[in-house]
Amino acid sequence: MQRILAIAWLTWKAALRFKLFLVIAVLLLTAVVGLPLVIEDDGTAQGFTQIILTYTLSAITALLGLSTLWLACGTLARDIEECQIQVVATKPIARWQIWLGKWCGIISLNAALLAISGTCVFGLLQWRASKLPAAEQQILREQILVARGSAKEVNHSAEIDAATEQVLQGRLKSSPIEKVDLPEVRRQIHEQVKAEMQLVPPSYERTWKIDLGFAKNYLAGKPLQLRVKFNAAEKSPSGTFLALWQVGVPDKTKLWQSEPMSLAPDTETSHAVHEFAIPPDLFDANGLLTITFNNQNQTTLLFPLEDGVEVLYPEGGFALNFARGLGIIFCWMALLAALGLMAASFLSFPVATFFSLAMLLIVLSSGTLAESVDSGSVAAGNDEKGVAGHSVMDFALIPAFKGVLAMVSLVKNYSPIDALSTGRSITWGELGAAFAQVVLLVGGGFAVAGIVLFNRRELATAQGTQ
Amino acid sequence: MSVAELNPQSAIHNPQSGGEVVVSVRGLTKVFKDFWNRPKARAVDNVDFEVRKGEVFGLLGPNGSGKSTTVKLLLGLLNPTKGHIEVFGHSPRHVQTKARIGYLPEESYLYRYLNSRETLDFFGNLFHLNKADRDNRAEQLLEMVGLGKTQTRAVGEFSKGMQRRIGLAQALINDPDLVILDEPTAGLDPIGCREVKDLIIALARRGKTVILSSHLLSDVEDVCDRVVIYYGGKIQAAGTLKDLLATPDTLRITTPVLPRETLEKVLATIRHGISTGEVRVDNPTQNLESYFLDVVNQARAANETSGAQSGARVAEYLRGGDDAKPATDKVLEKLSLPSAAQPPVDAKSAAQPAASRVDDKKLESLAQASQPAPPPAKSASAPEAQPVDLSKADEKLSSLLGGKK
Repeated sequence: MQRILAIAWLTWKAALRFKLFLVIAVLLLTAVVGLPLVIEDDGTAQGFTQIILTYTLSAITALLGLSTLWLACGTLARDIEECQIQVVATKPIARWQIWLGKWCGIISLNAALLAISGTCVFGLLQWRASKLPAAEQQILREQILVARGSAKEVNHSAEIDAATEQVLQGRLKSSPIEKVDLPEVRRQIHEQVKAEMQLVPPSYERTWKIDLGFAKNYLAGKPLQLRVKFNAAEKSPSGTFLALWQVGVPDKTKLWQSEPMSLAPDTETSHAVHEFAIPPDLFDANGLLTITFNNQNQTTLLFPLEDGVEVLYPEGGFALNFARGLGIIFCWMALLAALGLMAASFLSFPVATFFSLAMLLIVLSSGTLAESVDSGSVAAGNDEKGVAGHSVMDFALIPAFKGVLAMVSLVKNYSPIDALSTGRSITWGELGAAFAQVVLLVGGGFAVAGIVLFNRRELATAQGTQ
Repeated sequence: MSVAELNPQSAIHNPQSGGEVVVSVRGLTKVFKDFWNRPKARAVDNVDFEVRKGEVFGLLGPNGSGKSTTVKLLLGLLNPTKGHIEVFGHSPRHVQTKARIGYLPEESYLYRYLNSRETLDFFGNLFHLNKADRDNRAEQLLEMVGLGKTQTRAVGEFSKGMQRRIGLAQALINDPDLVILDEPTAGLDPIGCREVKDLIIALARRGKTVILSSHLLSDVEDVCDRVVIYYGGKIQAAGTLKDLLATPDTLRITTPVLPRETLEKVLATIRHGISTGEVRVDNPTQNLESYFLDVVNQARAANETSGAQSGARVAEYLRGGDDAKPATDKVLEKLSLPSAAQPPVDAKSAAQPAASRVDDKKLESLAQASQPAPPPAKSASAPEAQPVDLSKADEKLSSLLGGKK
């Protein structure tokens, strides 16, 4: 351990003596404190959140992410290029200890920078919140500066898959389908079945049964929040639609019926999400909350299965939630450090940096990969003619894309910035799962690859470049 | 003696002293390859040698002959293309074995942003030394290499010579059993060179094994027991310096200045049966290194320097029980030891031929008490009693290296 710590200490010394730590800290503070101070929000809780929380946390992630990649590539690759590693490696320290020491040094630097910038953001948040109008402060305290648990309807995937298969079999019996078209037909049926479960036609009702689970034990007497999002098949002249809600089951639980509401749909231009409080104790003894929507409009409304209706309930304080959010960002930084070090284990500094950035780009453009996997080909199809794309490389690229997406999804499953800006709770379980998946599983994979490559590398092929 | 007259293999496999084999190299070959795995350069070609405990072993050769590559192979920094290396009976990559090795690379490959104290502390940590030991050794080493007063300056600000000194200090932080020094005197002033040589001798006296790689013939000649001479990646000659350099058909007698009559009698006796042309008489001269050291020793008392100071005594923990004598005394002691383990200086001093032929005018001048022009030699530290003229030895070794120095 003494040896690993010595290498980690060396990384700190380099960062301090080359003023890297100071420069990153000043950049971070300028980005997360200086700029929000001069940018005025619109005085609403939503605008405030957008500027203070979403912007600052995104800036921290981007700045720290890039500096982590650069530092990770530099700390090892430059040691090899400038030959210092030739002295270190002749001491009784295993190469995996050198690698791990570098990683520990980088992530401890990140931890310090994250703690400094996080503390500043938290202080700024509290100070700027106190300047908002009282009503907006109230919204802020209830909806954002809290840690709220979330409950949704059970996942319908299995049900949709079963229904899709049933319809497909019926279709196959009635009219044969070319084998090559089968995936596309299945996909279309799947979307159709899913849409039917999301749609609420005019004069129809849709009921959601949401299990509050263990939370029912401490929610007695506490008001809950309903978070609602929907699309409409047609536009309305006013731009909003009438909404009537009922929560509870007659003769079984307490019942609450809303006043008529006028709600805007979620469109590509305006991402409208609505939150409103519902009275306490509307769930039954098993913690099941029954929510019914009555569509009194002249058009069909669509509530997405994933997040159309969600129940939010108080779970804890914002400060700890904020710290856990930073914890997940820290896990990402640890992963980037492992990626940079892995690249530097076998590449020169500039090439390792390029390689790491390219990998990052692949992760950020995973949407394109997902589209290729969905369509089953890397070649573009012709939607108008209904012709699917096809490429000779599909047999190799599509499985590769699936592998990359599976790995990317392990990392992208966690979105602490979204959670914090919507006042959702980031549980210790989520933080632990993020650590296990992002750091141990994916980062560990990079670490193993990096250590193996570093172990096999001849360290004295370079001549000093000092 | 020419290369053809040497039998390197016999010297390789029959080192002069028995004892534990510290380094064993058999059939070692290193071929550097390009990106496409095509052979680019054969840096080391089928090399065999052994280094035994307590030896000072020299790797001698011109630039690019494969010395440094051999050193890096011994340290596990390069992987051999063919052949076998054992260091203390283990692979060069064996981590625990490295705790017994000290390495000074050919250049200062140290972290420029650390100061000399931090540098030694960092490397001490890699050897798992506790803080008290690290502090104690760092203190002694910095004094020893003459950097005691520049502990807080970053290594990047050091001159090349000072960087070599701190490099040497880091190589000794663990009190190693095997010290591998790659061009240890490169960039050092004559005082530093002398101190490094003293240190090597001190280490050898404590039973440490030293491998010295150098293209400077005087370095190797002053301290090495045995050498291998590289050229083109191959060992061209190997053996003890005594074997390599001795000229058994020549004799040198050194006396105080003699009266003319006595000198003539001696010469008459010597000339009896020997042709006049084979007898030479002259004043022995000290070499430039000794003279320079005397001048500097005199100046040192009056002047301060902002750079590296002359090193103090060898660090206490490196001296073991042999700590009462100053380093120069040890050099003298070594020079006067009759043991076969101390051949280099003996061999050299015994083999020095005179530089000029006898003539009467010169004889007359020699018979008078000669007074060399500047008389700096007040210090007792200069090894005047054993004047070292390296020209002949250099000439010989140069011829072995194909005329290159």
